[in-house]
Amino acid sequence: MSGVKQMATRQRVSKESSFGRLRYFLDRAILNIRQNLFINLVTVLTISLGLLIISLFLLLLVNLEGVAHEWTRQVQVTVYLEKEPAAQNMTQLLARIKMLQQTDNVKYIKKDDALKRFRDRLKGQESLMEGVTADLLPASIEITLKRGSRDSESVEAFVRQLKQIPGITEVQYGEEWVRRLTTFMQFSRFVVTLIGGFLLISVLFIVSNTIKLIVYARKDELEILSLVGATRFFIKAPFLIEGIIQGFLGSLLALMLLTASYYTFLYNAADFLSLSPTSTGIKFLPPSYLAGIVCTGILLGFIGSLTSLKRFISY
Amino acid sequence: MIQFHNVSVSYQGDAALSDVNLQVRKGEFLFVTGASGAGKSTLLRLIFAGILPNSGQILIDGQNLTRMNRHQIALIRRSIGVVFQDFKLLPNRTVLENVALTLEVLGWGAKDIGKKVHHTLRQVGLEHKMNSTPVKLSGGEQQRIAIARALVNAPKILIADEPTGNLDDFNKELIFEILREANIRGTTVLVATHDRRYIDASHRDFVALEKGVVVEDTRERR
Repeated sequence: MSGVKQMATRQRVSKESSFGRLRYFLDRAILNIRQNLFINLVTVLTISLGLLIISLFLLLLVNLEGVAHEWTRQVQVTVYLEKEPAAQNMTQLLARIKMLQQTDNVKYIKKDDALKRFRDRLKGQESLMEGVTADLLPASIEITLKRGSRDSESVEAFVRQLKQIPGITEVQYGEEWVRRLTTFMQFSRFVVTLIGGFLLISVLFIVSNTIKLIVYARKDELEILSLVGATRFFIKAPFLIEGIIQGFLGSLLALMLLTASYYTFLYNAADFLSLSPTSTGIKFLPPSYLAGIVCTGILLGFIGSLTSLKRFISY
Repeated sequence: MIQFHNVSVSYQGDAALSDVNLQVRKGEFLFVTGASGAGKSTLLRLIFAGILPNSGQILIDGQNLTRMNRHQIALIRRSIGVVFQDFKLLPNRTVLENVALTLEVLGWGAKDIGKKVHHTLRQVGLEHKMNSTPVKLSGGEQQRIAIARALVNAPKILIADEPTGNLDDFNKELIFEILREANIRGTTVLVATHDRRYIDASHRDFVALEKGVVVEDTRERR
């Protein structure tokens, strides 16, 4: 090995630092992009269109998740109490319910409050309330559950735990509705994952094949570099940097198109549908998702170049 | 400088070289000749590890090529210049950039590269074409650029596979003159050609191949 190294290094006139090498690779990558502008533009456009499709899908997903979250907020467990307990007992009871892992919020509804609420609901039909007094209505405790505990299995487990607390006998939670909602959510998540998976695979396939074509178009360059003694790293580095630049530019373009599409069509669509975009209307992607899209673009360019190079650098 | 010990190569079962033993001394100028398919290109490709033998050993300057890893092969290629019949120039890069490639791989600075490339292009008589792209040059000029790329780092060995195959007599003579000059400067030169007329006229040593076997080596007569 030392003999081989000596043969090679004898001819080296000036040694450059690692920074100098990085600068060289970066310059070479930028020069390659300028010299092969059209084909690089095609790659950037392919990456950006692929990422735009994924971004639109994410936008849909985020908004559907929002809607689903709103629906599951309605999952509520109500404990009915035969008698209003003394204040100290009530505090203890509420504290025990709050201690349960799934509990998000607990609200005690006194008999008087229950009557008031009942009256409010029957506004305009006050005649129906004749003879109804607070004693007829039970006091209750309304419990909302944490986000991850709103499926039928978790709710059932929660109810079982509630019933073990002394003083609690009757619990209601709209069993059938929770079960249907859980089934619908599970099915939706499965479909979304399936479509998302197919989408991601398709984008990966298209992008990697486009990059493969670029590398193939420059296979002579790879061959010549290897003939004049370039190491695998030396050959790969500018191509990989080129891939990263393509991915970065592609993702930026995708985000620009996404933002433009959102404000041109979707933001107004929320108005059209009488939904306020500032409250529950169509939301834009959160910053973490946007950063994720840029990272995915960079990764797509890098991995696409890396896998394509493997095929063409044989020695 | 170059040693072949019982080297055999076959492509999908068909023998391209059979049990070849060959030695090339430092500073030699040797032709490799034979009909098409005799194994000339295979023999040359083995020297820069473009292919590896099925059996046998190849030593370059005392280093066993068959036992080298990829990185070592890359390093040893830096001391071997290679010229092909089809030039293998990059069409979208200038003459300067094509020749500079060899020095960039070695880590030379831009200033040194400029000087050295200019000097080498002057040796092949094309310093005035430095900023042209290869597509604007004639076949003979393109081959001289390819030779300049192979010689720019003063390699120990220069391999030329049918370097004049597509050229007229004037350019053939020009190319051989450049190869001779490189040899005078100390580079060991191996040229594959099927043109026996030229070999005979040059009065140089040659090795003749036939169906992958060395059938004649003029150096043995001495």
